Amino acid sequence: MSSVVLGLIAAVAFLFAPVGGPWVGAAVAVVVFLLSVVFAVLRYRIWSYQLRTDSLLLQRGVVTRVSTVAPYVRIQHVDVRRGPTERAFGLATTVVYTAGSRGADVSIPGLTPERAEDLQTRLKQLAIAAEGEDAV
Amino acid sequence: MKLNPLSIPYRAGESVVRLAWVLVIAFVGTSGISGPTGIGLLVVAWFVVATAYQLVYYQRFDYELTEDTLDIASGVVSRRQREIPIRRIQNVDISRNVVQRLLGLSRIDLETAGGSSTEASLRYVSTEEAERLQSEIARLKRGETEGEESPESTTEEELFAITPKELGLLGLVGVDLRLLGFVTVILPVVFPPVQRRFGDPFQDPLIALATTAPLVAVAIVAVTAAISGLLAVANYYDFRLARRGDELLYERGLLQRFSGSIPLEKVQTLSVSENVIARRLGYASLAVETAGYAPGDAGSQSAIPLADRTRVLSLAQSVEAFADLDFERPPKRARERYVARYAIVVAVVVAIAYAVNRMTDITFAWYATAGLFAVVPVAAHLKWVNLGYDLQDEYIVLREGFWTRTITVVPYYRVQTVLDSQSVFQRRRRLATLVVDTAGSSGLTSGQPRALDIDAETAQDIRESVADRLQAALARRREERRRERLEAIAADPSELAADD
Repeated sequence: MSSVVLGLIAAVAFLFAPVGGPWVGAAVAVVVFLLSVVFAVLRYRIWSYQLRTDSLLLQRGVVTRVSTVAPYVRIQHVDVRRGPTERAFGLATTVVYTAGSRGADVSIPGLTPERAEDLQTRLKQLAIAAEGEDAV
Repeated sequence: MKLNPLSIPYRAGESVVRLAWVLVIAFVGTSGISGPTGIGLLVVAWFVVATAYQLVYYQRFDYELTEDTLDIASGVVSRRQREIPIRRIQNVDISRNVVQRLLGLSRIDLETAGGSSTEASLRYVSTEEAERLQSEIARLKRGETEGEESPESTTEEELFAITPKELGLLGLVGVDLRLLGFVTVILPVVFPPVQRRFGDPFQDPLIALATTAPLVAVAIVAVTAAISGLLAVANYYDFRLARRGDELLYERGLLQRFSGSIPLEKVQTLSVSENVIARRLGYASLAVETAGYAPGDAGSQSAIPLADRTRVLSLAQSVEAFADLDFERPPKRARERYVARYAIVVAVVVAIAYAVNRMTDITFAWYATAGLFAVVPVAAHLKWVNLGYDLQDEYIVLREGFWTRTITVVPYYRVQTVLDSQSVFQRRRRLATLVVDTAGSSGLTSGQPRALDIDAETAQDIRESVADRLQAALARRREERRRERLEAIAADPSELAADD
């Protein structure tokens, strides 16, 4: 999705650039589009989450690969978020908040709304079961 | 309880002073209002209005400290009732500036975790009242009832008092070049006279700039250094730190006096930092971080602004009992990364110098900048040598930084999330960065505690073991708390009813 936008921006930019004609823009758009499709596929393949016995493990990132461990004890609340683009494609994101400064970094995008809600309920239950009597 | 009646004229006066700024800006240069008498009248009128407003504010403002909450009712236009549970209060800060000290007034600020702003602020109460509130809240937080105060919780044990020598050094070491931004505001005022004095008006303006710019730069840095040094001295004048029960109490300031409490059971991380100069002299500073808020202003949150390094470390160890530090450095191949990175920076500098030489009239020995390549290995080594992590039984200790080296002590039971990340370049060298996130507040402004460029597999292992040790530490604490409760109930059966 964002790749199409990027491609269009590049096309428009090259439309007015002194080098070449509009076809350069089209070429760039295609290249950018292909690249971002590859990128999106990679992103999708690398993305994974795992509900473990006492923590949530999250793996993501194409350029910078990040693995986050968020213990259930530390979960403050769990949101389901649906942005305009996500709504258009029937997707949803589950966001997990901790008291840490990077709290909102723990989010799981690209889920179907039902799955996102299930995950939200599940994480909430796990967080309650984990007995976080002092969160900070 | 009401605020101190003196706060009415004081707050009215405050708003007049604020108005004065607006007046100065609005009326300087315009002749809209007929001279000083007009302005004088306006000030008097404003003072009357402000006093009336403050009178109503005073009448509406009511606070009460009960056994388990602090209730505040306030508001002139829109009313607000607020109840803050005593147990949730983290810090109680008192501040008094010169005028307030003369009037015997104090401002008291209460902080809880969560929320970026101060939870409650009483402006202003008498100094005795402020101190009473501070110690009452501390007492209530410990869950003691009046009269049965345990002796250890009331006696203050002085941990640290700044000596004049340390204060002087602080002025020197505390030079904060972040103030440069402020100082450059006065640049247009300073610059023309300097140019007139040192620059030849018949010269090429570019050359004149080249001769005067370094002079001005030196002057700016000197002024910044002097201002920040003086600020540091004024901020930490007569600094002392004491321990009362499980709270740290601090007091500091020359023009404005601050005092406050840092609850030890809410400590998130400790960091010991030493900049290049301080390290040379064997000095360091200690910052104690509690959740959501750090004592003092964002820039000067230290628990100890400057003291002998060994003393700072032993004080830190008395707060959190970490073992002696023994850092593990990242693998040597991490150093190659920095060599490569700095070499690229130098290459860019050389390229720019060459381009300037070719394309403008300014001719100089551009190839001299290539000499910077000699510095690259040194810089890379310094960066590498100051990195490190130390995995202890109950703490993970991380170290980073050459200009300001910071050692951060994180107790496992304070960890919120832990992650390891690998950029493309790190993957090529099988390196990773481990970030340990806590609910401390400085994570938003400065970097989080992290171990930079450690071996990728080690990073994964540490990530998992930090998470495991967090669970273990939490289980241990739960067990401890349960035992304490059982003991309390065994000792006094009425506790069972009181605790619910």
